Amino acid sequence: MESVKIEKLLDAYFEGATSLSEEKVLRDYFNNEMVADHLVQYKPIFIGLKAAKEERSTKEIELPENHSKINKTWWYSIAAMLIVALGVAGFYFSQPQYTQEEKEALVAFEKSKDAMLFLSENLNKGAERLTFVDQFEITKDKIFE
Amino acid sequence: MTKTEFTNLVLPFKDKLYRLAKRILVSQDEAEDAVQEVFLKLWRGKEKIANYKSPEAFAITMTKNYCLDRLKSKQASNLKIVHSNYQTSENIEKNIEANDGVEMVFKIMETLPEQQKIVLQLRDVEQFEFSEIAKMLDSNETAIRVALSRARKTVRDTMIKKYNYGIS
Repeated sequence: MESVKIEKLLDAYFEGATSLSEEKVLRDYFNNEMVADHLVQYKPIFIGLKAAKEERSTKEIELPENHSKINKTWWYSIAAMLIVALGVAGFYFSQPQYTQEEKEALVAFEKSKDAMLFLSENLNKGAERLTFVDQFEITKDKIFE
Repeated sequence: MTKTEFTNLVLPFKDKLYRLAKRILVSQDEAEDAVQEVFLKLWRGKEKIANYKSPEAFAITMTKNYCLDRLKSKQASNLKIVHSNYQTSENIEKNIEANDGVEMVFKIMETLPEQQKIVLQLRDVEQFEFSEIAKMLDSNETAIRVALSRARKTVRDTMIKKYNYGIS
């Protein structure tokens, strides 16, 4: 390739006026052929630009599983609900169990107990008063003897 | 869209995204992270990806934006991205840096303004058409040509200056 043509291409290149195919000609010239002495200073640019394209990413891309995030939170809420439910149920069943009838019986028992107590209290009060009747008997006996 | 379909769609341009990210962020690790992040975003919006004319162009725009944001947040917190690109075995740039002034070319490219860096990368490394680059960068062809010309000239002028300095 005659260097005159390359020089022209170079001028256009630095003005940003070359097409992709013209730039390829430049890259190929500076990377493969014997470069004319007065153009050798441009060589590193085109070798560098070509080399820059050879670089590869070495790290694998990691992608999260589909909807894994949503799935997890869903499981968390289920687990939390189960724990709460078990706790409540455990507390509930640890309490003594009465049927409706038994509960009514218990209430009735408490009521009648109160009533009995009340009755006996008042009976005691009445019994105290009866001592006066005894006194009357004693005095009557004294008089009629 | 299944994982395999998605991977088949995006893997062909993974390296392009990586090279662009590395051009902007310089650090290999940062660039790998950027690519991972962009793919995650694409994966989350995978239902929409079929609607785009070119998923590749869309991904490149995303990568560019992500990397520039990353740079900005680093600068805002007064941190510089420190690159520790040590493993030379896998690093082709490093292997070639042995010859000539290629290393110098990469160094000069690092000093270019972000926009010029990106344009140079997309045109001279990845060989996209001006119309494609204009769409990716949300710009027009004239502006792209101007930025590209400036970038190429800066690389040339800085190189020749150093080259002559080395000789004399």
